[in-house]
Amino acid sequence: MKEKKRNPSQSDVSLFQDIVLHLDIVVLEREAATGTFRLHGIPPAWWHQFADTADATTVDLSRCSPFLQEYVAAWLHMGSSELSIVEKSGPWTESDGQGGTMTLEAGTLSIGSRQLLFIERMGSGFEQMHTIVQRARERVLAEEVAVKSHRQVETHLLTQLEASEQTKDDLLALLQHLHLAALVLNEQGIITFASHRGLELLGIEASHVIGLTWESVLHVREDDRAMIHEMIRKSLDGERTRVVHIEQPRPIWIELEIHRDPDSPSRRILVLHDRTELHALRQALNEQTSFHDLVGKSSVMLRTYQLVRDVARVDTTVLIEGETGTGKELIARAIHCSSERQRKPFIAANCAGLTDSILTSQLFGHKRGAFTGAVSDQQGLFEAADGGTLFLDEIGDIPQHVQTALLRVLQEKEITRLGEAKPRKVNVRVVAATHHNLSEDVVRGTFRADLLYRIRIARISLPPLRERREDIPLLAQSFLGQISTATGKSIDRLSSSTLHLLMSYVWPGNVRELKSAIEFAVISCKGKDIIPDDLPPEITDASAPSRSPVWVPLAGGDEKSRLLAALSDAKGNRTEAARRLGVSRATFYRRLVELNIQSR
Amino acid sequence: MIQKKICMLGGFAVGKTSLVRRFVTNVFSDQYRTTIGVTVERKSLVVDDHDVTLMLWDLYGEDEFQRLRESYLRGSSGYIIVMDGTRQSTLDGALALQQTAARTLGPVPFIAIINKADVRAEWEIDDRSINQLRERGWTVLFGSAKLGQGVDELFTLLATQMLKASPPSGVPS
Repeated sequence: MKEKKRNPSQSDVSLFQDIVLHLDIVVLEREAATGTFRLHGIPPAWWHQFADTADATTVDLSRCSPFLQEYVAAWLHMGSSELSIVEKSGPWTESDGQGGTMTLEAGTLSIGSRQLLFIERMGSGFEQMHTIVQRARERVLAEEVAVKSHRQVETHLLTQLEASEQTKDDLLALLQHLHLAALVLNEQGIITFASHRGLELLGIEASHVIGLTWESVLHVREDDRAMIHEMIRKSLDGERTRVVHIEQPRPIWIELEIHRDPDSPSRRILVLHDRTELHALRQALNEQTSFHDLVGKSSVMLRTYQLVRDVARVDTTVLIEGETGTGKELIARAIHCSSERQRKPFIAANCAGLTDSILTSQLFGHKRGAFTGAVSDQQGLFEAADGGTLFLDEIGDIPQHVQTALLRVLQEKEITRLGEAKPRKVNVRVVAATHHNLSEDVVRGTFRADLLYRIRIARISLPPLRERREDIPLLAQSFLGQISTATGKSIDRLSSSTLHLLMSYVWPGNVRELKSAIEFAVISCKGKDIIPDDLPPEITDASAPSRSPVWVPLAGGDEKSRLLAALSDAKGNRTEAARRLGVSRATFYRRLVELNIQSR
Repeated sequence: MIQKKICMLGGFAVGKTSLVRRFVTNVFSDQYRTTIGVTVERKSLVVDDHDVTLMLWDLYGEDEFQRLRESYLRGSSGYIIVMDGTRQSTLDGALALQQTAARTLGPVPFIAIINKADVRAEWEIDDRSINQLRERGWTVLFGSAKLGQGVDELFTLLATQMLKASPPSGVPS
C-alpha cells in the first residue's frame, strides 16, 4: 500500500523545533547540489561556539573540527545503500569558547534522498560514565602500584632470604672447615643443629642428636650436669668454660663453652673443644709430679719415689727419717700400697709419749686379767696387721723394754701377748719412722744398736720442705684443690704475692704446716684468689724485713742458746718464743725436751 | 601549508594527553584525567623549511572499557606509541596497538616513546625489552611530559620522517 505524503503543518514545524531544542542537538541537512549543510530549527547556544554560524543557516563543515569532517567524509564516501547504517562518531572534545571543553557526538540519518547530520552535546549521562571509567582506571593504577610494591617487598625478602641462606651455608662451611664442634639449643634446651665435627667428637649421628635434649645426648656426671644447666641459664657468653667428662657413647673430655645466639637470645650455642688428649697428658704429668699421696717433682722427691718403688719390691724393714711434717707416714703407706702386701692391713701406731706397759699391750696384745683393766683378751697391732704392714712412728721414743720385745718379734717373727706364755706367729712388715738421729741415740745409749741395725735394713730420708722449695707451688695448688672441694668454696688460685710469701717462708712444720696454712687461707679467703692477707700471721709476719727469713736449726749449744734467748725475749711465753723463731709450737716444745731446757 | 594527521596511541594513563598538552601549550598537570573519545589539537612548526601543521589526534587509552576504533586511524601520516616506563603491561599493549595501526595504515612512520623518564629508577621496562623493540625496527625514545624532556624532539622527528615518507609536491623524496 502506497504511503500518502503529507506536508507538515505549522504546528508540526513548531513541535519539531521544540524537540530539537529540548534534546540539545543540532540537525543539519546536506544540500546535495552545493554539498553544504543547512541548519534545521533553532540550534542550542553551544552550537555558535562550535560552528561560528551565529546568524546563518548554512554551515561550512570545513571550518569545523577535523574529527567531524572526517566522520562526515567517511559517511559520504559510503555507497547509498550503506548510508542508513552509519554508526555514531563516538565522542570528541571541543573547546567551549569559555576556557573549558565540551564533548560532542555526531550521528547521521538518510531518509530517502535526504541526508541528515545530528550533533549532540554529551550531557550528564556521559559525565557519569566518564566518572565511572575514571574511577575504574584509578583503581587499576592503584592496584598496579600495590602489586608493584608487594613485588618489590617480595623481591627484597627473597634477596634477603637468599643472602641469609648464603650466610648460613658460608657459616656451615666455615664451621666444617674450622673443624669446630658446635651444638645449637633452642629455648627448651633441645638440640636444633650439630656441626659435623660435633657429631664426630661425640661419636653419634645427627639423627640421634637433633630434636633431643642436650642432657640425653651429653652423658655427664651429676655435678657437671647441674653446672651446665646453670651456665646455660646464665649464659655469660663464653666467659666461663668447664671441662667435663662425657661418658657415652665414647669416653671423652671436653671443654664446654656456652654462648648466646646473637640472633635469638633465648637460644644457646655450645662450643665443644676436645680436651681428651690434654687430660691424658695432664694425668701423665700428675703421675710424674706425684706418687700415691705424695706431691712433688723436685729431684730429691723423684729419687724418693724411686727408692719407695725399690723398697716396695722387697719385704725388709724400713726406717724413714725426716723432720716432723715431712710426710713419713705417707711414705710408709706408699711402700705398703706399692708392695705385694697392698691388699692386707696397713696399721699405723705412734709410739711417742706412751708408757712401757701401754705400748707393749698395744703392740702385742694381752690376755684377759693380765693387768688391771684387762677385762678381755685383746690382740695387738702386730696381729691386727698380720699379712700387711705395721708403721711404727716415732720409734726413737720407744722405751728400752719395748725395744727388746720388738727386736725379738723382728727376729723370730712371733709375738707373745701380755699374760700369755705361748708365742704367736705373725707375718708383718715393719716400717719405722723417726725424727731422731738414732745413731746419736745409740751413742747416748737410749736406743739399742741391734734394733737399729734390724730396722734400718732399708732407709729413706725425707728432706725438709725448705730443701725442696720448688715443690711448694705444686703442693700448695694440690692442697688448695683438695680443701676448696672439701669446703665447697670456689677458689681457683694463689696470687703471685701469696706464692712469693709461701716460697720464702722457712716451713719448720714442713708439708703439714703448709697444708694447715692453705686450709687457714681458704677459710679466710673472700674472693677467687688467695691473697697474702688470707695467710696465717706467722707467714706474713715472717716476711717482714727485720725478721730473719729462715730459721735453720742449729746443733748442740748454739740451738740451745737460741731457744733460751727466744724464751727470754718472749718473757717465758713458749708460744710467742716459737713464733719468734718461726717454728711450730710442737717443734719448739720438742726441741726444749730434746735439749733438756726447763721452762716454766 | 602542509597538514599532517598524527595519532597518539597507547594504554590508559601512559601520558598521551600530557605529551600533547606539553607540546602544544607547554603545560603539564600531575592530576590524572582519563580521556574518553578523541581530542584533536593543532600545532604548527617548521620542518625542513616547510610550514607544517600537525593535527594531533589524542585518542583514548585502550583498555577493557574502550577499544580503539580503527576508523580514527585512517588518514594518519604517522603515529606515536606511548608507553609508561613504570608499567611493563603498557609495553605489551603497545605491541598490539602497533600491529593494529600497521594493519590499518600500512608502513607509515611511527615513533615509540617511553614516558615518565623523570622516575627512571622505578621503571619496570628494562633495557633488554627496549633493545628487543629496537631490534624490531622501532624508534624508541625516552621522555618525560612532566619535565618536558624529549617532547619537542618526539614530534619534530616524526614530522621529519612523515615529510620524508610523503614529501610535498616539488620536493624529491
